[in-house]
Amino acid sequence: MTAPASTTTIDLVSRFPEFVTADTRPGFSGFIVKKENLVEVATALRDEFNFDLLSSVTGVDYIADNKMEVVYHLHRTTGGPGIVFKTQVDRVDPMEVPSLIDVWAGADFQEREAWDLLGIKFTGHPDLRRILLWEGYEGHPLRKDYQEAFFEEETKPFKSRWPEGHHTYAEFKNPFRDNIKLPENFKLDNYQPENEDQLYFSLEKSSMKHTSENQMGTDHMVVNMGPHHPSTHGVLRVAVELNGETITSLKPVMGYLHRNHDKIGERNTYLQIMPFTDRLDYFNSMANNFGYAVTVEKLMNIPVAERAEYIRVIMAELSRIQNHLIFIGMLINDLGSMYTPSLYAFEERELILDIFEAVSGARMMCNYFRFGGVVRDIPADAMQKIKDLVHDRLPAKTDEMERFLNENEVLVGRLKGVHVLNAEEAIRNSVTGPVLRAAGVPYDLRRADPYSVYDRFDFDVAVRYNGDMYDNYLIRFDEIRQSLRILEQALKQIPEGPINSQKPQYQVRVPAGEAYGRVESPKGELAFYVVSNGKPNPYRYHVRAPSFVNLTAVETMCKGTKIADFVALLAMLDIVMGEVDR
Amino acid sequence: MDWTMWVEWIVKGFVLCLILLTGFAYLTWYERRALARIQVRVGPNRAGYQGLLQPIADAVKLIFKEELTPGHVYKVVFILAPVLTVVPSLVLAAVVPLGTSFNLFGREITLYVADVNVGILYLTSIASIAVYGIVLAGWSSNNKYAMLGGIRSSAQMISYELTLGLSFVTAIILGNSMNMIDIVNEQRGLWFVVIQPVGALIFWIATLAEVNRAPFDMPEAEQELTAGYHAEYSGMKFALFFMAEYQKMIVISMILATLFFGGYLGPFVDQVPLLGPVYLFAKVIILLFGMIWVRATWPRIRYDRLMSFGWKILLPLSLAIAFITATGILLADVLNNQLFFWSIPVVSIIALLVAVAFIYRDLRRKSHGRI
Amino acid sequence: MLLEYIAIGVMILVATLIAFIAIGLGGLFGPKKPSAEKDTPYESGMNPYGEGTRRMPVRFYLVAVLFILFDIEVVFFLPWAIAFRQLGLFGLLEMVIFIVILLIGYVYAWKKGALEWE
Repeated sequence: MTAPASTTTIDLVSRFPEFVTADTRPGFSGFIVKKENLVEVATALRDEFNFDLLSSVTGVDYIADNKMEVVYHLHRTTGGPGIVFKTQVDRVDPMEVPSLIDVWAGADFQEREAWDLLGIKFTGHPDLRRILLWEGYEGHPLRKDYQEAFFEEETKPFKSRWPEGHHTYAEFKNPFRDNIKLPENFKLDNYQPENEDQLYFSLEKSSMKHTSENQMGTDHMVVNMGPHHPSTHGVLRVAVELNGETITSLKPVMGYLHRNHDKIGERNTYLQIMPFTDRLDYFNSMANNFGYAVTVEKLMNIPVAERAEYIRVIMAELSRIQNHLIFIGMLINDLGSMYTPSLYAFEERELILDIFEAVSGARMMCNYFRFGGVVRDIPADAMQKIKDLVHDRLPAKTDEMERFLNENEVLVGRLKGVHVLNAEEAIRNSVTGPVLRAAGVPYDLRRADPYSVYDRFDFDVAVRYNGDMYDNYLIRFDEIRQSLRILEQALKQIPEGPINSQKPQYQVRVPAGEAYGRVESPKGELAFYVVSNGKPNPYRYHVRAPSFVNLTAVETMCKGTKIADFVALLAMLDIVMGEVDR
Repeated sequence: MDWTMWVEWIVKGFVLCLILLTGFAYLTWYERRALARIQVRVGPNRAGYQGLLQPIADAVKLIFKEELTPGHVYKVVFILAPVLTVVPSLVLAAVVPLGTSFNLFGREITLYVADVNVGILYLTSIASIAVYGIVLAGWSSNNKYAMLGGIRSSAQMISYELTLGLSFVTAIILGNSMNMIDIVNEQRGLWFVVIQPVGALIFWIATLAEVNRAPFDMPEAEQELTAGYHAEYSGMKFALFFMAEYQKMIVISMILATLFFGGYLGPFVDQVPLLGPVYLFAKVIILLFGMIWVRATWPRIRYDRLMSFGWKILLPLSLAIAFITATGILLADVLNNQLFFWSIPVVSIIALLVAVAFIYRDLRRKSHGRI
Repeated sequence: MLLEYIAIGVMILVATLIAFIAIGLGGLFGPKKPSAEKDTPYESGMNPYGEGTRRMPVRFYLVAVLFILFDIEVVFFLPWAIAFRQLGLFGLLEMVIFIVILLIGYVYAWKKGALEWE
């Protein structure tokens, strides 16, 4: 591993003096690139400066400056801080920006999302359809001049909710069923589903049947897997083209759980967003809290109480363990084993959720982190429970599960040698997390770009090299063991002291600027991009959800595989629809 | 012809069907409880003592479900398909002897519906009818999942039927008859499972595939095809498919018990013939637990592997087993040396180990992807 | 002996009756609330694209052909299995020749890739 290079060593302005300028707005960093030369700069960054991982693509609508800005965050898979560059277009439709899909395939879904929500047209994108909303949706909701149905005010707290100094619920003003504004002349009874020709056309276009040799004229069948399907992990829909049992083409369709998390973030105050982040990856609310807290703390530039740092690490690692246990259980469930391993996994998970309940009051939607610390200290009995779990129960149970499962012939037969992704494909598609590490890239943010107090612990980055399903499965066990190692050390080192460096407060003061904070969530790199303009609400709030970005690779992964493997491959990505659809 | 004979047939047929229906109902309870035990759960325990009334509650619920025949299906076939599936599963049991016979009001009542001299041929032929029901259900549903499930199912069932047929051949060779009662009587000294354990194992694996049980539950494959061939079925018509699967489980366990585990034989069965069904019942319960256990612990085999397992491993192995058995018996007869007879299990197990070695080599040889 | 088959016939009738009664019971007691949505084929909640029944891959057909081929083998086995004690070693030898011929076909099918699912 090469030594991490800091941002300052990269002088993009002197490399491209004609069309790159430094971003000099207060609180902002990075470079602004002229959009005509975007692809050139991006290619140079990838090839010359080794920024091989495209972390995030998103847009910000600076309506006051009459500019639409696209923000790119790049990182190196060898570690170290990243680089951010931006490009700006005038806020006049069509706002055209060249697509970077040829440089990083991982830009695919993120650019589609930016088109969908902000209306930035990425020229050269081969399949620029809406992704979270449906075709035929009018407007782009993240634009600052977009107003939703029953729009009241730009930001919370809405004055209408406090008519005489008392709070009234929105539901009373707009009762259920009346809180939807339907288009004119819309009758629900003769509702026709939206036209899906575009989807099937793009499915047909990317089909393998044009390249593979003629299969004796058998029909290729288009099947929709999902949204109401038992193994797409929620309401993911995948349109699949089949030749017998073999998948010749597929397109994921998402957005059935879409609630525009980004817009919710812009409406609410900084602290109000915290419970909303729980709902992203509802298995790991602790990790989501962690990511959001880290980002806002970066923006506020405040320290975190020492004890709280350790509590955060303990919670995040416990969360990782229970996530991976569920993953293993549900993976084997997807392979067709009648729930037995998943129920054994759930048994351990319940114990971890007991701890979450003891510290935060909620089992899944914890809402536990605050800027500068956490809400409550760990009670003494919960602390004892954690110690028992970490020292005795979880290591034993992990051993037990490995002993039962790893050598099962059917499991090995189903998993071994079934290709998921190799390192190159994974990086190109911006895949992060265990899937990337199973392909042989030791990229773990806890080591690559340490946050919180992770640099104080002695642990190994779990990595496997074959990139097949079996390695993807085993690496989850490796990560559980490493998490247990971290937990052991954290429990030993945890100091006494306050749990928050700040006073308890409902409203935080966030200086203007931008921040991109990322943490290693169990599913991959979870990052938040927050732009503040000094007001109580974020100006722009964007979540780089690992499940969503990892899903970009699903086409590369699944084309040419059997339909039975497709189900398992989808499980390998460990997606949670709450995070994908946001 | 005596009218009492007709009464006897009807009553016996009806009673056998009722036994199987009750057996089906309580097999679901048994399976759910056993699965729950394995999965550290409790299972149904609310309706009645230990949940014993649960199957009745389920039946009542199913009766009061909407009997839906969607508009896009081929109606006649759609309705006939579940009937065509369930009838063979019931009729299959007709030739399985539950015991010898007993006296009722001075009348000799045999504990089987029919004593057919080609009983095993009957079994193979009836068992293969069931595939029609499934493939027709898949086709008539006019639904892609159902179609795929039905086609998969038929291909799988006919592939494993070969193995099943050859396992029957092994039993015939051992029993020297196609008559089920003769085969049972032949086992008075020694259960055939002792002579031919591998044959019994192959038979059991093939029946798992025949009744679409895990790990061969490919046609249903909930995770891939939602419900496979019965995706469009609801209410009682769905229940019939469900019924057929579980009844076939029972009947096929009965057949396995009869062919390899001494059927109704047990201590004092000659003195008290009514003990016969009890012994058979006990053996069936143990064999059924094996099926449930497999379901609880094994993932599903992928479809292509399943087909190659059937064609490349099980078919040659069962052929070899049948042949080893015949050769052993014949050599023991001709050379008058019992050593040859007792070499049958040894050689069979060696053949099995060779097959297992082939599977292991195949598993190890699997390439590690495209890296 | 034929009487035994009548017994089986009676049982088939009884079983069919039970099956139809079961369906009839459902039709009698179940609610009937037809709707346009219930009439559409189930495809994970989406409107299906293309026909439900269509030409299937030729693989499945190949399996059926192979099945017929080998099922005949099993049928030939059955009478031999009954009579092989009388036929003695001669019968065994005959069977060996029969199986060898079949095995040649089996190996041919294997080598041709008829048993592969790729």
